Amino acid sequence: MKKSFWIGTAFVALLAGAAGAQELKFAPGEDAKFNWKSYEDFKSAHGDLKGQSLTLFGPWRGEDEVLFNSVLAYFNAATGANGKYSSSENYEQQIVIDTQAGSPPNIAIIPQPGLLADLATKGFLTPLGQENADWIKTNYGSGEDWIRYGTYKGKDGKEAYFGFPFKADLKSLVWFVPENFEEAGYEVPKTMEDLIKLSDQIVQDGGVPWCIGLGSGGATGWPATDWVEDMMLRTSSAETYDKWVSNEIKFDDPAVVGAIEEFGKFARNDKYVAGGVAAVASTDFRDSPKGLFDIPPKCYMHHQASFVPSFFPADKELGVDADFFYLPTYASKPELGTPVLGAGTMFAITKDSPAAKAFIEFLKTPIAHEVWMAQASFLTPFKGAKTEAYANDTLRKQGELLTTATTFRFDASDMMPGKIGAGAFWTGMIDYVGGKDAKAVGGDIQKAWDGLK
Amino acid sequence: MSAAASLRRIGVPRLILHASVLVICIIWLIPTLGILVTSFRDAGQITSSGWWTALTGAAETSAARLGDPASARQDGPNYIISGSVFDGGDVKSGSVVAFGTRVAAPTEFEAGKEADLGDGEKLTVNTDGSYSYVKSGPFDDKRGKRIYLSITQPPNFTLNNYRTVLTSAGIGQSFINSLTVAIPATIIPILIAAFAAYALSWMQFPGRSLIIALVVGLIVVPLQMTLIPLLTLYNDIGNLFGVSSRSYVGIWLAHAAFGMPLAIYLLRNYIAGLPKEIIESARVDGASDFEIFVKIVLPLSFPALASFSIFQFLWTWNDLLVAMVFLGTGKDQLVLTGSLNALLGSMGGKWEILTASAFITIIVPIIVFFALQRYLVRGLLAGSVKGG
Repeated sequence: MKKSFWIGTAFVALLAGAAGAQELKFAPGEDAKFNWKSYEDFKSAHGDLKGQSLTLFGPWRGEDEVLFNSVLAYFNAATGANGKYSSSENYEQQIVIDTQAGSPPNIAIIPQPGLLADLATKGFLTPLGQENADWIKTNYGSGEDWIRYGTYKGKDGKEAYFGFPFKADLKSLVWFVPENFEEAGYEVPKTMEDLIKLSDQIVQDGGVPWCIGLGSGGATGWPATDWVEDMMLRTSSAETYDKWVSNEIKFDDPAVVGAIEEFGKFARNDKYVAGGVAAVASTDFRDSPKGLFDIPPKCYMHHQASFVPSFFPADKELGVDADFFYLPTYASKPELGTPVLGAGTMFAITKDSPAAKAFIEFLKTPIAHEVWMAQASFLTPFKGAKTEAYANDTLRKQGELLTTATTFRFDASDMMPGKIGAGAFWTGMIDYVGGKDAKAVGGDIQKAWDGLK
Repeated sequence: MSAAASLRRIGVPRLILHASVLVICIIWLIPTLGILVTSFRDAGQITSSGWWTALTGAAETSAARLGDPASARQDGPNYIISGSVFDGGDVKSGSVVAFGTRVAAPTEFEAGKEADLGDGEKLTVNTDGSYSYVKSGPFDDKRGKRIYLSITQPPNFTLNNYRTVLTSAGIGQSFINSLTVAIPATIIPILIAAFAAYALSWMQFPGRSLIIALVVGLIVVPLQMTLIPLLTLYNDIGNLFGVSSRSYVGIWLAHAAFGMPLAIYLLRNYIAGLPKEIIESARVDGASDFEIFVKIVLPLSFPALASFSIFQFLWTWNDLLVAMVFLGTGKDQLVLTGSLNALLGSMGGKWEILTASAFITIIVPIIVFFALQRYLVRGLLAGSVKGG
């Protein structure tokens, strides 16, 4: 034990060196790309929270945690409150345990509206009030959709607004390496028909068009749900999509089965996917994008959300070595507009306090968005945040897609009941890629859903 | 001595036995070896090739850009760009095996040979990376030409992964937290369980078998079921006394309770198996139950105590769930497993951090195992009873 004590001492010494006061990432007032006025206004309005503690609990760990803490530092500096963020790998379970046992954090940050709706019904969330809903409506791109995803039934059975969206993810993206496209003479496709033509062209030239990886440990299958949702929005109306989410139309409805088969056009074509169809389910989603950068390239295109650059090799510069295009729509279905599939994290008050209320106010200031935008991997539908603040052009282009989308739809699997959206839908997609019929897969998922009713 | 003679001396069955033990050991060790090798490689290498290729220099294909067309010098009718592919810093140095000008065929030409690219262009890349790019007219590209190279690199290992893990903020605090949780959470259940095991095996009282059955029954209760009720209880107690419900005492008691049924069961089986003669002669000599327990049973059951403490220590040391629920998720409350897990990021998938962390967390359990291991093998009972 003496030895481990000694090691422990060495660690303490290390720790002492690493710890330090949290500093503001960008000095207030200095850089004109930030809206410092909003920071000063917030400071004078809420500067009276000295010493109050605020606990936040959410999904971000590692680098994301550092980034969020840099935003939180501005709140702490402005109000004098002591806001502390923490996370856990199993935050979905942990938040349920904490709220049920009666020791919740002040604010819970949850990316699944389905889970928040569940907490709201049990009476664990404090409503944010109509004024916040109105604010979102006027200040967020597709504001009404965002309000819908934060509105749930409370314990009294009445609908109220609970979830404040902050940080969005964009799903309808296809990533590619511009230099590979340039060398082979490929053009970025503007329509789905062109995209299929391009895929065939790549096959003819002896290449492989797509990298698709569905592996994700216990969550294997989820990347396929994004594909199906994107295809759903490109083959059916947004209203049909909403009905699908609420199970008003069944999972084996022709519209849903059609969307699954659209996905199958890509994922179940041996010539289209790197490694063949057999590799789709076994390739990890984190390793899959790396095929773009292999020499010779394993694939030319990769469909994945806006977070994926963090899994690109470290030396790849966004916009130069890698870029994205919007997953195009069918030219034959112009009535569907340009739908955007996305997701976002919702902030909900699980234990009310003046500091918690003030934090929600803080999220309405442009500066809260800009500090994260200026560093990395942050998109916001907030129209008041300066787009100059985005760290690079790739992010800026994605941000513009979000604020200008004609239709914004939240990731369906995140809104379905957990047993479907994070269960039967995933496993069903694995079965489908494994060769099962789309209609049968839809039937299986519907059976699981019926079992919940 | 011939091979046949030595084979006869060892015996075929024994040889087969030894060979199969060896094979099983090797198969058993391969994953650990893989993790060890991986922990010394950088993230790029881990994704581009398997750990088994780490010891031999691997050929990697990468892209490089030739010098700027503006730097071309004129030589008669030809324009020449020359330099080294390693100059730009895009490529790690090594020796060039092959090169190509199309991404679809990156190893089209052998190093050192002149490649005719058509259009009056000729390119030669030598094994040492130097190249000459000749064109019969002026170069009209805007940027330097992109070429692809297959380069063999010597084996390359790094300590950076360990450095990243050991210097990450809060790791020292969480190490201490882990020890603060694991040591009492190992000692408390063993102390209580040893008393209980003695009583349940050598003291006569009504309902004894019922209690044993109950304890055995408790082994099958999954601890996840108790998380919410137990935390509710802690919250109520915390509110009553105005203290935080998340404390070390709380997690010690939780771990003790979760470990107790198995501890009592294991120790009772062992203690009940001690020779009756020793205990009875101690009784005859006038020893009380407490004296028998302390002076005879406890020393004799050291192997069982040691093996259970290894189990319990490993479980509490490796635990993440119970610590997250009963100790909290704040930076200063995280145990080692928690803070290493946080290093992996929101999406996970950082193999280099994961493997290095594995070898850092393994140190303490290994120390505990070797410290207690000698008690496991010592034959304490040898010769204690005549004819026994």
